[in-house]
Amino acid sequence: MIGVSFFRILRAAGNNFLRNVWLSIATTVIMTITLLIVMFLFFANVFGLEVINNIQQKIDLSATFMTEASEEQMSKVVRNMEQRPDVRAVQFVSSDEALKIFRERNIDKPYIEESLAELGKNPLPASMFIVATAPEYYEDIARYLGDDQFGEVIEEVSYEDSRDMIQRLISIISTIKNAGFIITIVFAGLVILIMFNTVRLAIYSFREEIDIMHLVGASRWFIRGPFVIESMLVAILSVIITTGIIYPLLNGIAPELQRYFLEGYAQQEGFNIYAYAVQEWPTVLGLQLAVALGLAIISSLIAIQRYLNS
Amino acid sequence: MITFNKISKVYSKESAALHDVSLKIPTGDFVSIVGQSGAGKSTMLKLISAQERPSEGMIVIDGWDITKIRRWQIPHLRRQIGVVFQDFKLLPKRTAFENIAFAMEVGGAPTREVRATVPHILKLVNLAERANAYPDELSGGEKQRIAIARALAYKPQILIADEPTGNLDALHSWDIVQLLIKINKLGTTVLLATHNDEIVNALKKRVVTLNDGKVVSDKKSGTYKL
Repeated sequence: MIGVSFFRILRAAGNNFLRNVWLSIATTVIMTITLLIVMFLFFANVFGLEVINNIQQKIDLSATFMTEASEEQMSKVVRNMEQRPDVRAVQFVSSDEALKIFRERNIDKPYIEESLAELGKNPLPASMFIVATAPEYYEDIARYLGDDQFGEVIEEVSYEDSRDMIQRLISIISTIKNAGFIITIVFAGLVILIMFNTVRLAIYSFREEIDIMHLVGASRWFIRGPFVIESMLVAILSVIITTGIIYPLLNGIAPELQRYFLEGYAQQEGFNIYAYAVQEWPTVLGLQLAVALGLAIISSLIAIQRYLNS
Repeated sequence: MITFNKISKVYSKESAALHDVSLKIPTGDFVSIVGQSGAGKSTMLKLISAQERPSEGMIVIDGWDITKIRRWQIPHLRRQIGVVFQDFKLLPKRTAFENIAFAMEVGGAPTREVRATVPHILKLVNLAERANAYPDELSGGEKQRIAIARALAYKPQILIADEPTGNLDALHSWDIVQLLIKINKLGTTVLLATHNDEIVNALKKRVVTLNDGKVVSDKKSGTYKL
């Protein structure tokens, strides 16, 4: 009996879909647009975080050592910094290395070489570059390095120069996250309204049938079932269409995105949004199915409720 | 047995559709319910099929007090009560066969039983040859016979007919009445709400007359008198 009823509900759902084929297509289109918006927000978030992460990694704090500081003193400071939990990486650049880099950068400027020869000694001090695990830690690290205990070793901490930029970045990251969240909520609200009304329109066209189902003793699930399953059918169809659109689209725009946003960020050169989408396909598919089926089931249940109570 | 025990139905403070109605309808009875428009005929029928709930009193159908029937129990009740309306209420996109089968499917009848029973019911209402016709292709009388066939699909104990001849000419009206008599002879309790005095007088069956929501007359072999 339950099997027969379930089969009939499935058949009725299929028939509903085909009988109102234009409305079914319209609902599928709305659902597909919804999923495309959700997927856009999802990938924008993933890619945005990746870009922010790259910018964060580019920002560092540099400390210049006193020319009188011994190698042992400098190594001690470097080790000290490496042990801090808020420090991701420390790069030590010796006085000789600094000179070498300086010469390489100015190889086309002969007057620089002449000036250095005139000086007769290496004017560049040793330094270290510190990358924090998060931008907000730079201030603490800078304060720590400015402490008296390092007074004889460290000449200058250059964090002050980039403090504004770091603060701005923290503020931008926070704004982007909040705005993304608000935009997602607003879109989700709009989409629920649109979906709900589209499903309600579909159900409205079956009001006569629902009325008769009531009269001949159909159970509430027998009445509700075909509409819920039809909505789920629309949801699955929309997921298939959306997947068919986003993967080729991501494949097409991934190189451009990489070139435009991530160029010069050597450490993350490998990030490709298409490769990410392929690798994370269960998440991408799962998110779509969760959104589509969730919206479809909730919308159809709410929309049919009115007719169930009649 | 259908029992109405001091039933009142109030839609608004100004008007009571039914007022203190008490009535007993034995199984297998054929009862015509007559009265002017607004007398409470349709309300009475709606109360039996739980489309409405009484404001006061108790309704018992075969020992089942349906006054405080729970929502999930309503489908079970309605599968025991066939309902026929003036406007037929057929599904326009389904054939005559499918309209009848639909009622059986809704009740959970196995497919084999549906395929075997529907032709019999179509034969009972003399429309076997119109099985594949859509409602648009049927005359008013044929539509009503299909509606009655649908109401009979799940072998109800009670058949409620609310002005079933209201949209039909005299000839087709008599067809429908003959069909109702035939169904009643097979053991189904028939409740017929009508304005048609000729039919009521010719039936020579029990007549309950309503006026302003009250039973003003209840005669075993009555006539149409308002």
